[in-house]
Amino acid sequence: MVEVSTSAVPLADAERRSPVSRFARWLASERVFRLIPFVMVEALFILVVLIPFVLTVWISLLKWRANRPFETARFTGLENYETVLTSDQFWLALGRTFYFAGFAVALELVLGFVLAMLVSRCTWSKKVYTTIFLIPMMIVPIVVGYNFSMIYIDSGPLNQILAPFLERFGIDPRIRWLSHPVAAQWAIILADVWQWTSLTFLIFLSGFAALPRQLVNAARVMGASPWQTFWRVELPLLKPAIVIAVIIRSMEALKLFDPVVLLTFGGPGTSTQTVAYFLWEQVWVFNKFSFGAAASILLLFIFSALIFFGVYMLVSQRRAVEGSP
Amino acid sequence: MTSAQADIAAKGARARKVRRGRVHRIVRHAALLAWTAFITFPIFWMVSTSFKDSGEWVAWPPHWLPHEPTLHNYAQIFAFGALDPTLSRQATEQAFTIWKGLGDAMLVCTSASLLALLLGTFLAYSISRFNVGGKYFRHTILMIRMIPPIVIAIAILIYYAIIIPYATSALFGVRVSLFDTYIGLVLIYTVTTLPFVIWMMLTFIDEVPYTLEHAARLMGAGRFEVLRRIVLPLVASGMVVTFLFVFILNWAEFLLALTLTHPEVTTLTVLLNKFQSAAEGRLYGPQAAIGTVVTIPVVILGLLIQKHLVKGFSFGTIRK
Repeated sequence: MVEVSTSAVPLADAERRSPVSRFARWLASERVFRLIPFVMVEALFILVVLIPFVLTVWISLLKWRANRPFETARFTGLENYETVLTSDQFWLALGRTFYFAGFAVALELVLGFVLAMLVSRCTWSKKVYTTIFLIPMMIVPIVVGYNFSMIYIDSGPLNQILAPFLERFGIDPRIRWLSHPVAAQWAIILADVWQWTSLTFLIFLSGFAALPRQLVNAARVMGASPWQTFWRVELPLLKPAIVIAVIIRSMEALKLFDPVVLLTFGGPGTSTQTVAYFLWEQVWVFNKFSFGAAASILLLFIFSALIFFGVYMLVSQRRAVEGSP
Repeated sequence: MTSAQADIAAKGARARKVRRGRVHRIVRHAALLAWTAFITFPIFWMVSTSFKDSGEWVAWPPHWLPHEPTLHNYAQIFAFGALDPTLSRQATEQAFTIWKGLGDAMLVCTSASLLALLLGTFLAYSISRFNVGGKYFRHTILMIRMIPPIVIAIAILIYYAIIIPYATSALFGVRVSLFDTYIGLVLIYTVTTLPFVIWMMLTFIDEVPYTLEHAARLMGAGRFEVLRRIVLPLVASGMVVTFLFVFILNWAEFLLALTLTHPEVTTLTVLLNKFQSAAEGRLYGPQAAIGTVVTIPVVILGLLIQKHLVKGFSFGTIRK
């Protein structure tokens, strides 16, 4: 730091005169300096997110298919929106997304919580378990989809394990799990649980590690049973971690796409089409760009309420965690 | 209760506690080991499949370990140039080798992560020190991340593949398209990971005491000098962690890559999805080999930054 001062001070006078240094000084003045990164990032966002969105709104008002020249497009007002809103497929896909997300997140929360509780009581083996349990989170989702597709195929290990039970009832053990609508849906939920329980586990583990020991010990000393300590002391203290885990996981689960592509391609029929997959198919397979644009704008509206609520909850929980007003 | 009675009661309680503790421990480890088996099995199956020859991929009953281990799958995906007849499974135009995908993925992920890191760190510093963008700017950034990528993907596709070519040919007479280009993919990856960078770097920069900078400023250092010589060295390790975290996210990204690139730019996730052929159905073996190759580096990187993962995934709401 001494070095900084000796080099900067004598130069200051000489630098003041040249236009380049004057420009540098203008940049370094607080009024300008604080805005440099802001302007850069905002410019990037306007260029890559805002302009496309405005144009998407415009496209969604046109009647036009991608296999025809753009000049043939004509303005039709809100017709595309009407098509989307009256499309059963869209609403079913949306409902299915919530159904997947609901079950997957609930299972992940319970399993992650139990695992974190068990691991936090371990002593020497804590590090080993934590390291192993975190691995699924880092595996590329598309690879997870592939792994599970190998396990579910008709001659896969799952059927081999089930074979002794099934053969007793005279059922052919080579079941095609992914060809049955409900089984395929639960196959996707299971793959999601496999991967993302590691995240809820990690969040809860940090929660358990941050529990103030003296409060828990005080409850013990005052004669609370372990059961009481858990429900009355530990669980309320863990509430912020639980809320954070719910929000983060639900937001991610609603985006579900990768395992669907690798496991089922939305099938059999449309029974595993999530809303992301449905839109993708409409645009890339059927070239319905205007329909896709209208649907994505609607989806943004539907989700924005959830997003707003989610961010609000996250931020308020963060305040609770940090204890600042 | 006299003290002697209390003593005996306490001893009994302790003995019960020890016994119960042992039972608890056994149950606990049994549950944890069961979960460990559940976690490791799919990974084990992938690695095992990657060493199987085509006859064993879907054999019934399945082979847990390859009966005749072979490196054929790896030889196939790591082959240079045209495949010689011993390696190619049939005459399709399938791109079997991984090199193009690996190169593209490295190029796109590295440049997007670096760009996001530079912009994000600078902005995080500005937010932390000068409260740029107002009180709720941090939260606005977070909302960008919560938008489902499919919504962005459709808008960006229309923008890259239709609007930009149409506009440029109308204005300048040259069709310029960002669809299926490195720049297009890097830009969108930068934007989608910026919120993570900003929130993670905020947790690191908030920890640097302002008094240090203040002292340096008083001694005559310019703003850029303070940033370069005081702040950056102190948050360097945080930057490395953030870079690795964002790199893992980009490496795993599939939807945007699938949407915004078609024949030319191929990241590894897209390549893995392409391994289907009409003649033989899905090529499970090479897929397993690619899966293994894709997984190993990110798992290693992830375990390196294990301590900070929770900070990243929870947007800094949980800080340790």
